Amino acid sequence: MNPEVAILWAGAIATLGVYTILYRENPISRLFEHIFVGLSAGYLLFTTWTQNLEGKWWGPMVHQRQWYWAFAPVVGLLFYFIYSRRLVWLARLVMGLFFGVAAGTTFRQFFPLYSPQIYKSFKPLLPQAGLVWADVILHHWIFIVILLTVMSYFFFSIPHEGRFGRGLGRSSLLGRWFLMIAFGAMFGNTVMARISLFIGRVQFLLKDWIGHYLSWFAQRAGG
Amino acid sequence: MQQIPRHYIYLLLAGVVVWQLLAPMPLPISPSTATRGLYEAIRAVPEGKLIIISTDWDASTQAETWPQTEAVIHACFQARKRFVIMNMQPPMGVKLANDIALEVGKQYRARYGVDWANWGYKYGYGNVLMAMAKDIAKTIGDDFYGRPVTRLPLMQGVRSIRDIGLVVEVTGLAGVTEYWIGLIQGPYQVPFAAAYTAVMAPGYYPYLDSGQMKGMLVGAKGAAEMEALVRSPGKATTIMNVQSWAHLLIIALIVVGNLGYLLARGRREERRQ
Amino acid sequence: MREALQSLFLLRQAPNPTALAICLGLALAASVLLLYALHRLLGPRGRRWLIALVTFVGGLFFGLEWFYPARGHPSKNFLTDWIEPVSNMLTVVGAFTVGLGIYSLSQVHGRNVRLRRPGWHNSLAFFIAMVAMFVFGLWEHYLHLREPLPKLVPWPKGIYEILFSGLFAPLQAATFSLLAFYIASAAYRAFRIRTAEAGLMMAAAFVVMLGQVPVGAWLTSAIPAASGWSFFRLEKLGEWVLAWLNTPAQRAITFGVAIGALAMSLRVWLSLERGTFFSEQS
Repeated sequence: MNPEVAILWAGAIATLGVYTILYRENPISRLFEHIFVGLSAGYLLFTTWTQNLEGKWWGPMVHQRQWYWAFAPVVGLLFYFIYSRRLVWLARLVMGLFFGVAAGTTFRQFFPLYSPQIYKSFKPLLPQAGLVWADVILHHWIFIVILLTVMSYFFFSIPHEGRFGRGLGRSSLLGRWFLMIAFGAMFGNTVMARISLFIGRVQFLLKDWIGHYLSWFAQRAGG
Repeated sequence: MQQIPRHYIYLLLAGVVVWQLLAPMPLPISPSTATRGLYEAIRAVPEGKLIIISTDWDASTQAETWPQTEAVIHACFQARKRFVIMNMQPPMGVKLANDIALEVGKQYRARYGVDWANWGYKYGYGNVLMAMAKDIAKTIGDDFYGRPVTRLPLMQGVRSIRDIGLVVEVTGLAGVTEYWIGLIQGPYQVPFAAAYTAVMAPGYYPYLDSGQMKGMLVGAKGAAEMEALVRSPGKATTIMNVQSWAHLLIIALIVVGNLGYLLARGRREERRQ
Repeated sequence: MREALQSLFLLRQAPNPTALAICLGLALAASVLLLYALHRLLGPRGRRWLIALVTFVGGLFFGLEWFYPARGHPSKNFLTDWIEPVSNMLTVVGAFTVGLGIYSLSQVHGRNVRLRRPGWHNSLAFFIAMVAMFVFGLWEHYLHLREPLPKLVPWPKGIYEILFSGLFAPLQAATFSLLAFYIASAAYRAFRIRTAEAGLMMAAAFVVMLGQVPVGAWLTSAIPAASGWSFFRLEKLGEWVLAWLNTPAQRAITFGVAIGALAMSLRVWLSLERGTFFSEQS
């Protein structure tokens, strides 16, 4: 069979069905939401088997005779005792293991992840080879001031009283202003991201779906 | 001015997007430093080493991450660098990326297993990376098609992370980069670059500044810039042309809303007086 | 067809099925006995201690392997060779949790269908979609089709592609694309410049929004790119805001998050945390 046309129509109907929610909550969009969740669950199930368990557990255990893998499902299935009130501690046992592993992984990756960040925060504050005063002031001085003031904003355990505290308070206020700039930049990028998602869908409807029948749309919608 | 019904705003947005898609006004796109960094990092991968493209995205971000992945794959093929696709979460990304690689590969007559491969969806985040650093074949097991990766010709001589020349992470998920940098880039000094959705990109500029990241694509804009560098304009270039007008609309809406607010506030103060 | 069904229902024959069955049975029996003994012998305090011990050992292994001095070339210590098998084992164990979410969803939707609650047909659609994707996904996988595929593909592969590329991907993309409308509506209704800080945030947002798109570059294209004034070209200004104003602020936030994550990890590792999950009474 050639599923190409069926894929286009299914995609278009699904997209338009979801968009009906923009008018108001309705049975069509609710049906498509449930179908989406069902497809997602089914996909996760079979990819977990075919991409993970089959090659890394079943294959070694059955075909390479690594019999110790027989214990893996026993430990893995302990998670399901979370549904039993009497035996829930068994689920907590294996969850505790994974929490511990996550903590150990955090310890491992802390220095490789953050020490270059600390090191590179010490920017040159005076002109040197390849750096003029304009570069240094516009970039490095501003960088250091923003970094320190924003960090000071997060020092919640020191009261803004006394000489040091009042200074910290002023620094923290300046930090809040710089945070607003950062949040504004994040908002700008968020708008860009969200709009892109919609443009992508309209591109599909015009170029791929309608464009399949009317080539004018395919040419104009481009891509 | 503050009471425009929301359906009119939706129609306005849809109208602007459809109008610009059907009657585009293309404007030039010039690649940024961050995008060039990623492009150069791909070209600088030493002979004999693999590139890992970790496609940790799904259809929810595909308008940005699909063209990003496509442009990165174009760059790999053009530079004749062998690469592998893999995915740690969500599992959908690995099939979408596979479809992209198959489609793009036709242009370069690329062969699966020789010029590129797909390691598939490997659940486990940090555990997968820690294990992969020591032994890739045992960690990956089977590829996307269910065949042992050891049987792929491009895996000859690839044992551990030291045989990897670059990791490019394409994702819409926050948190995965920290695993790659903390467990692979930092300890083993494997070059790392990334392509993010525009929402999460501002949070990762510090890694670009510190040199932990060689380059970065930011949303559809980064993808369009990469398409310009690989001379293959695609979806992202079209999206950016439309994006301009959509942004102008959003700015206009904010300005109109605030004008309405100021006028209403002025009237309220007049009434009080 | 028979081969596909066999593959679908995983009836491939193991090289030594008897030995496999014995090993699986023994592993299961030994584990059940051990867990039963632990359940009977350990009281609430003992169980808390066992959980704390397992948590501690789990974290200790990975942390110690990183910090313990390494020697030789390639440098390693007594734990390094265990990283790969232990990590792989944990990956496989973790993969078994896939059923947790599926079970919860099935419980909720199953109840809707069983009791014929309003909207039960949606729950039925959920089950049909889940089973269809699972069956056809597995079937397509075990067809072992080789690329490049012909235009006419086997019908299970066709159905799978319709489910994935025709329904799953477009539904997800469309659902998240609704955010574009919501952000437009929210920007109009809620973004009010009541304070100077909000004004600053809006100004930064405008600069970045225009700097990221081609029209921003076009608006300030009159400023020569090579001159000293090129800093005020919107695309350069936008890049400067992101690279030199946004970056240090994000780094400061990152430092705070990093310290918090480290402190939290330490508390979890040493089982000092209290809360719904961590306490015995829940």
